[in-house]
Amino acid sequence: MKFWLINTLMVLSLIVSPQLLAQENPMKVGMSGQYFPFTFVEQDELKGFEVDIMNALGKEMGREIIFQTANFSGLFGLLGTGRIDTVANQITITEERQQAYIFSEPYVYDGAQVVVKQGNTEVQSVEDLKGKTVAVNLGSNFETLLRELPYADQINIKTYESNIERDTALGRVDAFVMDRISASQIIKDKPLPLALAGKAFSQITNAYPFQDTETGRALRDEVNQALRTLRENGTLASISEKWFGTDITQP
Amino acid sequence: MDVLNVEYMLGLVPVLLGYLPLTLQLAGVAMVMALILACVFAVVRVLGIPVLNQLTIVFISFFRGTPLLVQLFLFYYGLPQLFSVLTVIDGVTATIMGLTLHFSAYMAESIRAAIIGVDRSQTEAALSIGMTNSQLMRRIILPQATRVALPTLMNYFIDMIKATSLAFTLGVTELMGATQKEASGSFLYFEAFIVAAVMYWIVVEILSQLQKYLEIRLNKAYSR
Amino acid sequence: MIELKSLSKHFGKSVVLDGINLTIEKGEIIVIIGPSGTGKSTLLRCINFLEHPTAGEITVGDLTVDVNRASRADILSLRRRTAFVFQNYALFANKTALENVAERLVVVDKWPKEKAYQRAREILERIGLADKADAYPASMSGGQQQRVGIGRAMATGAEVILFDEPTSSLDPEWVEEVLGLMQQLASERQTMMVVTHEMSFARDVADRVIFIDGGRIVEQGPPSEIFSNPQDPRTQDFLKKILATNSVG
Repeated sequence: MKFWLINTLMVLSLIVSPQLLAQENPMKVGMSGQYFPFTFVEQDELKGFEVDIMNALGKEMGREIIFQTANFSGLFGLLGTGRIDTVANQITITEERQQAYIFSEPYVYDGAQVVVKQGNTEVQSVEDLKGKTVAVNLGSNFETLLRELPYADQINIKTYESNIERDTALGRVDAFVMDRISASQIIKDKPLPLALAGKAFSQITNAYPFQDTETGRALRDEVNQALRTLRENGTLASISEKWFGTDITQP
Repeated sequence: MDVLNVEYMLGLVPVLLGYLPLTLQLAGVAMVMALILACVFAVVRVLGIPVLNQLTIVFISFFRGTPLLVQLFLFYYGLPQLFSVLTVIDGVTATIMGLTLHFSAYMAESIRAAIIGVDRSQTEAALSIGMTNSQLMRRIILPQATRVALPTLMNYFIDMIKATSLAFTLGVTELMGATQKEASGSFLYFEAFIVAAVMYWIVVEILSQLQKYLEIRLNKAYSR
Repeated sequence: MIELKSLSKHFGKSVVLDGINLTIEKGEIIVIIGPSGTGKSTLLRCINFLEHPTAGEITVGDLTVDVNRASRADILSLRRRTAFVFQNYALFANKTALENVAERLVVVDKWPKEKAYQRAREILERIGLADKADAYPASMSGGQQQRVGIGRAMATGAEVILFDEPTSSLDPEWVEEVLGLMQQLASERQTMMVVTHEMSFARDVADRVIFIDGGRIVEQGPPSEIFSNPQDPRTQDFLKKILATNSVG
């Protein structure tokens, strides 16, 4: 069955010309759809900061943007197999990721933030995480940040596919770590008893990853140019203001 | 804890219902293909056809011995690294193939056990009146094996419906993916997942009723 | 009309049938007796190819098969000329009495369903089970099931019916009705080969009794001769033992 399929596809690959498989005008963008307020869904409509920025970029580049939602753990697989062109999901630039992908210029400057259940007096800064259980999203950069702390071996890190806010509010974990902006947003907008614990503990820059191929590099350059224009004409800032009340697109 | 936001839940029903057909399509198509494949595997195993039998054993061992999510990842993200042309497979196809291969391995073993469970002397009786092997399988063995295997196969189908939720990892927004995204937007997790849970539940309940009906029909011959 | 030449069957090193030669006339009633495990059942199963014989030749009617050169088609035609009645009835559990009897006609002989069921009804009538046509095996007594088993064999129209200890699994209360039916068949001159321990049946119904021991035919003849004047010491010994537990009178 499987062999039959593979054989058929091999034959197909000889018939279908490479041009058909190559990217045409639209840019395919992957996102989780589960990262409020960057990318989320309301009444079947995909919304958020990432969606707005990407649509603005598309308009600037003269490309149609096709959004592809998938669980976060599948996004880099989609990118690696060329099924999408980039990921717009607050992807933080890290050394690891830079070895596999090339990045656009950062469009978000942020920090890692510890968040606890309201009324938790034990955890008031990142140092207080010693001996505590801390939730992070699976595959996110915050796990690496935590593991780089000198006392990392004293922190019990739990990785989640989703719902880390929920488990913190329910007291199943002592805290979660997420970017400062969306953490503030969650506390402001949502009916969960949560509070920020101390200041952000590590500056991070988020950007769009691309495959390190000829088309990937070209697309990256195109996106960089559009980003610069949108930065200069104030579009980035106004989208940020709309969602966060501050400009997170500046360092 | 706030009271349940019923208005939000009611608003979500039509949205999530829109994704139910895809969930059912994934499971339904995969079930039919898995059944066919499983019957083939089971017959190969029962008859001990050389070479094919060994291949089937390895196949079953692999697909039962590894998690479905790993298989989906391997199939959708891993293989295309080796054969780039495989990226033409879309998420829906990959999910259906993954479910098919994974569940056919399980179902093959249940069907095999059910075939073996049919009294050997009936095989001899069928051969003694001059039936061919395929007539024997079709008319005597498989109908009886079906009855034995039905509850297990139905369980696999129900499992499969629930396993379709993994499709969102391949970028296929089915019922579960849609629910996760809606819940992430509203933070009303309980409300959103209750709506989804009830939908799964109703579907499974309908299937259970169907199973009951089929069991009564198939058991007609065996009551004293 | 049935002829076995040097029919042998080996299971590994053990020789179960050791060159059986036998000719059976049309309408003849043969009863095969002998100690347990001496190849009586194997002989019947070889004629039907439920066991593949090791060597020899089988002729049924106009078909002669060298067992070593038997093709699948040969085996199928041989099976279609013979019918088998099993010790444990072996009825198709998913089919009614009527369907069990009609199965061969529908599937193998490709009769139209109506005609096949009509014939099956006639047979159920003859075996006294017309009222059980729509009953499934699970709801029938052992005696009834074995009568359906015999009905299924009758429906094949085979040249010979092979009975493999047809009453051995039955509770004593059902033995009579099955033997009665077999006697009725015998009186209609249906060719039969019967392996049984029912010595009264052998004495009253058989045209010829064959005594088998060690995979060979030791002695054969009309029941009057075998029972009252057995020649071979092994036959004498066997009969002495079995008649002590079997009231033949």
